Amino acid sequence: MSMIDPIKASMSIAGSGLEAQSSRLRVVSENIANVDSTGRVGGADPYRRRTITFDSVMSRTEGVNLVRVKDLGIDNAPFRLEYEPGHQAADENGYVKRPNVNVLVEMSDMRETNRSYEANLQIFKQARSMAAMTIDMLKGSSS
Amino acid sequence: MIPVFLASLASSQASWLAARQTTIASNVANANTPGYQVRDVTPFSAVLDKASMSLASTNPAHIDPTAGLASTEKVSKSDSWEVFHSGNSVALEQEMMKAGQVNQDYALNTSIVKAFHRMVSMSAK
Repeated sequence: MSMIDPIKASMSIAGSGLEAQSSRLRVVSENIANVDSTGRVGGADPYRRRTITFDSVMSRTEGVNLVRVKDLGIDNAPFRLEYEPGHQAADENGYVKRPNVNVLVEMSDMRETNRSYEANLQIFKQARSMAAMTIDMLKGSSS
Repeated sequence: MIPVFLASLASSQASWLAARQTTIASNVANANTPGYQVRDVTPFSAVLDKASMSLASTNPAHIDPTAGLASTEKVSKSDSWEVFHSGNSVALEQEMMKAGQVNQDYALNTSIVKAFHRMVSMSAK
């Protein structure tokens, strides 16, 4: 029997999900924190929105599908231009490049992250309760 | 003997439930993975009906290829409630429902086995 205990495997899968979703939350918070990070000199590029993608990977030791962060990338969407001649990052025409971060998009991403994180946590709790039920079975029979 | 039959039935259902929980955990973990297709194990009745035929191991070095859950519980693409633009077909609500059902069945299974254990140990006392 080379198969790992499926309940333990569920816990490690849920753990990988929790880890992936928390990395995603980190990226979201990075984007929100930098929503106003402009360049320092005239015409310089501001903060560029970061992106994250997941990938399903087969764990060789457990034979199950875990989730991993596949790629941390950058969003190449164009920057917002704002007319603000007094700004230190304004170009010769008085326009400042603002980060290509949309707070509404980040917020909805955050909500989805939260929801997925909770779902993984729920699975973890259930796997743990299943393990507890199995142990309880042993307890009950000895008395 | 009926109790022996019950024990093997209960243990095969418990392992089936645990395998299903693993599959659900995999689906939930990959709820935001682009292109991931939702999976489920074959129904327990199908696992029960299937006549199992295994190779005899005449040498301790022989490895039973049917050991573990991979042989009895086939993971296949199942009908999903929704498919996202990214090609992901995991509906979290559906998975949570399945997980709840698994948990309930597992509780029932362990309680029945416990009750049987009590009965057997009562008569053996």
